[in-house]
Amino acid sequence: MRPRLLFIFAICFYAAAPARSQESYSTPEEALAWLNTAKLPDTSLYWPNVKNHLFLENLRANVTHPLNMYQGTNTNFCGYAALSYLPLNYDPLQYVRFMLALYTDGQASWHKVKFTPSPEVMLAAGTLHFKGVLDIRPADQMWFLSLADRFRSYLNLFHTRFHTGSEDTFWAACNLGKFNRMIKRMMGYKIKAIGSDLLRPGIRDLYGYLQKAVQTGTTFLYVNNTYLHVKNHNKSRFSFPTHFIVLTDIQKQDDVLTIIYWDYGGRTLRQVTTSFLKKILYGVTYLVKDNDEK
Amino acid sequence: MKNKKGHIIFGALIILLVSSCKTVNITHYYHRHQSILDSIELVYTQIYAHKPFSIEFTDRAFDRVSLELATDTLTYIYEFWVGEDRMQDTLRKYGFDPTAIQTLITLMRSVDCTWANNLDYYTEERKHYLTYISLWPRIFNFPFVNKKYYILTYFQQPQYFDSEGNLLVGRKLRRVRKINAEVFRRINDRVCYTLSDKFR
Repeated sequence: MRPRLLFIFAICFYAAAPARSQESYSTPEEALAWLNTAKLPDTSLYWPNVKNHLFLENLRANVTHPLNMYQGTNTNFCGYAALSYLPLNYDPLQYVRFMLALYTDGQASWHKVKFTPSPEVMLAAGTLHFKGVLDIRPADQMWFLSLADRFRSYLNLFHTRFHTGSEDTFWAACNLGKFNRMIKRMMGYKIKAIGSDLLRPGIRDLYGYLQKAVQTGTTFLYVNNTYLHVKNHNKSRFSFPTHFIVLTDIQKQDDVLTIIYWDYGGRTLRQVTTSFLKKILYGVTYLVKDNDEK
Repeated sequence: MKNKKGHIIFGALIILLVSSCKTVNITHYYHRHQSILDSIELVYTQIYAHKPFSIEFTDRAFDRVSLELATDTLTYIYEFWVGEDRMQDTLRKYGFDPTAIQTLITLMRSVDCTWANNLDYYTEERKHYLTYISLWPRIFNFPFVNKKYYILTYFQQPQYFDSEGNLLVGRKLRRVRKINAEVFRRINDRVCYTLSDKFR
């Protein structure tokens, strides 16, 4: 047995422990109990294509298996999926209440942020298809579409209104500033962030920085996914970030970093060099402590 | 002198024509290599039924292989040299049959197959699976030309197609189905193809 392999197995054992360093505001049991007592209309006036039974099934699945949430094949929902990591893991009751209000009233508030989704978005939720398991998860479609509709940034400047297929376009894109804004305004967490949409952050001791971030709170990485999740063998690739992931653990042996990250649908372990991680990393956001307003 | 220039221009045109050729007949390619391609699908699905995984060749020489091994808690992504001892250790550790994986690697290398995976898709709320195989024939290997991949999808049951051979969602839902944002066309009832810029 190679020493590196032993090292990985040791990490895996350690990583099997539940997520830490964040205070939970509610439990999955509380969320499920609320869900079981909730009375829903057979069909929603506001979300005509969201089927009641799939909606409830979807919410239950998210509460019981929060890591299984999937952003959908070829969509630009990664920023919203990354954001979902926080409520699903640390406040599932608030998430469920919000989703039920959105379903029954067509609008809802998350703390001080009010959501009144546009008619186009309401019509589209439940109809997205060819996106893998997202096809049968109308609650996730509602959640992603409502977030994309509510929070806008310069990336969305030329795609102001939702049209069929907009989920794959710049209409749904999310940059680092918008992502941080969503966390602060919706979730009320205090964050520390470094990086930008075009230039890589100059972090000298990357391993030390990321390890400290992971130990402090939930850590999001803004990365160039054309290198992390290679889809073609072209030598020339875009040099800008395209994807958000949640870093849950990082270990170092020699110059090899073993990272564990949540990439929607499940967690992944892989080994990369420090220079590779520096090359793909454009932003780091991590929670430092809970806001008093919560 | 004039004649020499003419030869150079003619040569450049030929190179341009060959390197921009994107329409190699995939149906032909499939039938020529059918036994190997079908074997890849068979071996892959047999191993996958035991333990989920996907496999990728990361280089043009098909010497580096990347394995994504899925477990209940984590997906492990490792990259190895073909035949490396470390790969056998890892496969055994995660409960894979190294011999079966080696057979798959040999088959994949023989037809320039760069990726094999299992994908789920949905029809009327029901989950189905298909095997997704990407080929990177050397004919597309020209510098400065976007890489193109043949994609083959193996379905578990016969599919429905329109009169032009485009894959449809189902018998009742007669709209064109997309897989990974691509439209697929018929090779036979269970096998479809497309040409794509992405291998997955």
